[in-house]
Amino acid sequence: MDATVVRTIALGKRFGRVNALTGLDLSVSAGEVHGFLGPNGSGKSTTIRILLGLARASGGEATVFGADPWRDAVALHRRIAYVPGDVNLWPNLSGGEAIDLISRLRGGTTDAAAYAARRRRLVDVFELDPRKRGRAYSKGNRQKVALIAALATPAELYILDEPTSGLDPLMETVFAHEVERIRGEGATVLLSSHILSEVEQLCDRVSIIRAGRTVDTGTLSELRHLTRTEVSFPVGEVSPEELVSLPGGRDSRVENGRVKFTIDSAETAVLLTAFGTLDVRGLVIAPPSLEELFLRHYGDDVTVRAAEETGGRRARQ
Amino acid sequence: MSAFGTVLAQRMRRDRVQLAIWIACTALLGLVSASAIADTYGEESARAGLIALAVANPSILLLRGLPQGAGLGAFVFFQIFTYLALLAGLMSTFLAVRHSRAEEESGRAELIASTPAARAVPTIATLVHGAIANIVLGTAVAATFDFAGLPIGGAVVTGAAVAATGVAFLSVGLLAAQVMRTSRGANALAVACVCGAFLLRGIGDALGTPSADALSMSSSWLSWLSPIGWAQHVSGWGANDSSPLLISLALAVACTGAVIAIQRSRDTGASLLAGRSGPAEAGASLSGSLALGWRLQWPTITAWCVSGTVLGMLGGSLASVIVQATTASPDLRNTLSTLAPGGTGSITQILLAAMFGLVGVVAAACGTQTMIRMHQEEAAGTAELVLSTPVSRLRWLCDYLMLGVVSILLVLLSAAVAASIAVLAVGDDPGHISDAFAEAGAQLPAALVYLAFALVVFVALPAFVAPVCWAALGAGIFLGNFGGLIGVPRWARDLSPFAHTPVVIGASTEWSGAAAMLAVAAIATAVAVGATVRREPRGA
Repeated sequence: MDATVVRTIALGKRFGRVNALTGLDLSVSAGEVHGFLGPNGSGKSTTIRILLGLARASGGEATVFGADPWRDAVALHRRIAYVPGDVNLWPNLSGGEAIDLISRLRGGTTDAAAYAARRRRLVDVFELDPRKRGRAYSKGNRQKVALIAALATPAELYILDEPTSGLDPLMETVFAHEVERIRGEGATVLLSSHILSEVEQLCDRVSIIRAGRTVDTGTLSELRHLTRTEVSFPVGEVSPEELVSLPGGRDSRVENGRVKFTIDSAETAVLLTAFGTLDVRGLVIAPPSLEELFLRHYGDDVTVRAAEETGGRRARQ
Repeated sequence: MSAFGTVLAQRMRRDRVQLAIWIACTALLGLVSASAIADTYGEESARAGLIALAVANPSILLLRGLPQGAGLGAFVFFQIFTYLALLAGLMSTFLAVRHSRAEEESGRAELIASTPAARAVPTIATLVHGAIANIVLGTAVAATFDFAGLPIGGAVVTGAAVAATGVAFLSVGLLAAQVMRTSRGANALAVACVCGAFLLRGIGDALGTPSADALSMSSSWLSWLSPIGWAQHVSGWGANDSSPLLISLALAVACTGAVIAIQRSRDTGASLLAGRSGPAEAGASLSGSLALGWRLQWPTITAWCVSGTVLGMLGGSLASVIVQATTASPDLRNTLSTLAPGGTGSITQILLAAMFGLVGVVAAACGTQTMIRMHQEEAAGTAELVLSTPVSRLRWLCDYLMLGVVSILLVLLSAAVAASIAVLAVGDDPGHISDAFAEAGAQLPAALVYLAFALVVFVALPAFVAPVCWAALGAGIFLGNFGGLIGVPRWARDLSPFAHTPVVIGASTEWSGAAAMLAVAAIATAVAVGATVRREPRGA
């Protein structure tokens, strides 16, 4: 059996003359929590809409559980739970009604007692008041309604589009617990986000997309190999001669009273041995954060981006 | 520019196309009817004959106005004024709600309220904007009547009456927006007020007292409860007395005062009728997209059914009020048939046909609104919640289509049942009960054509489904119900589905138009449903 749950190859999507996706490759294996990272407007939601059969690809291919999401939407939707990026509820339905309606449409309420228990637990942990009308909920509470509706019925694939963007830190923790729970049950999760700490905490693998195209994909440790580890310690603990003798240091500088430099992530062990002979107390060796990975993809070539934007504007004129 | 100026300019800019269309269509209705009436009823004797008939059959007054003499101008006023006032009222209430409750509901009002243009400024800007729109409308109406060759004095008074009615309903609309929590609710309340005013005036006029020469009538006190009744009492090209308009302006001042008082004491987004909290769990019936459609739309459908019930009741009860004398005269009967759609049937049948013609319009409007809701669900992003579950795009569309058909049937059924009860209640010939049900059935094809049309527009041009469908309905009403009266060429009248609605006259009823319309509706529906398979749902 093919263990790939979601696969897109060179996926493209045009809206009129605007290219929303130009060559998006994505591969999500069964049982993994896959982070889908990209800045606003990079095409995350468009990709998700195609994977749900709510939009049709204009190029490339997309399969979910080996099936065409546009043609086999209904069959696939029986196996998928979805939380939209921008949750809109029916203004005159209460949150509880919306949860029950979506759960019933998904066929998750046939085991009435078990469903009621799952629902009750989720309403409790997310601290939702299910009696309020849709129009009276804040953004975060609308998101909770969609999350509860998605989580109250077991699915094989959870597609979550920026599910925590309106939640407070407390609720983010609750959400993280829930993702751990469904991962433990063997479900696959595609989690789009631009909150890097969340992705670092939850995801096994990430795909980074930009301007409708996949720029990097891999496990976090694979991606970390692509960037450098930062080493720092207080000024004055190491003499300049000793500093020069340390292996592999680059970009050395002094900031806020600390000496900082970077090393190749693979050289960490060698460096530690070297430090063993020195008298350093405030040593900090920080692995590259996703933030830095992200900046590497979006921050370092501002000129290219500016050129693309001008080109985009010209194309629209 | 001051905050007030900026907000006012934004309102005018946003409405420029919509208001231009409202004003042009209203003025055009006046112009076309004035010139057509001058052609058809050029002779004073013809006009006197029609008025005599109307005075003898006061139920006709319900659909026209209060006769004030047989002069050409006064006759035009009798025939068309109440409709001009009705249009001004609808234009103004929609305008008021669009810029008040709808803005609050969408959250845009909050954006404005956080700027120096604080709470009262948007309301006053809406009031000024609406007043300007109504002054332009009144001027356009006066100018077109002057252009049509009617005396300028009457034209000015008539234009002023139209504008004053609009301003009165503008303030009613603003008040409804304060009371109700949703724009849909506010629009429904305000439109009910406008239609209620039209109906109240109609009943008041029908219960009025004819003058000795039977060429004019004074209304009963009921008409004096209606803003359209006040405006009608200016009696354009007759008494030309503008003083009743002071009551309209007084109403506008009173409502505006109430609006400002309520607004001063409430939170942005809140309303006089507070929202209640809902159930924590869904009832057992809320379990599919059809059930959801019903849950979302039953209040609207009920409102349309109430309209159908009122019209059916009037159709069933007023028939017996008709004085028998007129039925003997073939001349008068011919004249009557220009007032009501078609036919050579009895006066009762003609009156039932006239009333059920309106029921048909209500049914078509109800079906159209059901289809437009599909687009609103897509635009609001809530369609996506349903379509991401195991509900196919086709299933979702077909559920709405079924709901549209059911809503049309409910409107027609409630009208027929109401007419039957009324026929029995007033002790008329029970044979008219079958006439009423046949008339209700006869309205079905035209309503289904509009339903299918709305479906096609939704599939092809979803962003324009509301303006295109309401415009098509308005054009159909105009061509089908006024086309005959004002001499629109046959081919143009035939564009209106309502022109093909059969008029039930016993065994000689011509049903071929109905069959053709059913075929058109079925083909259009099939094409639209077929195209849905490839159609992408529109996102929020």
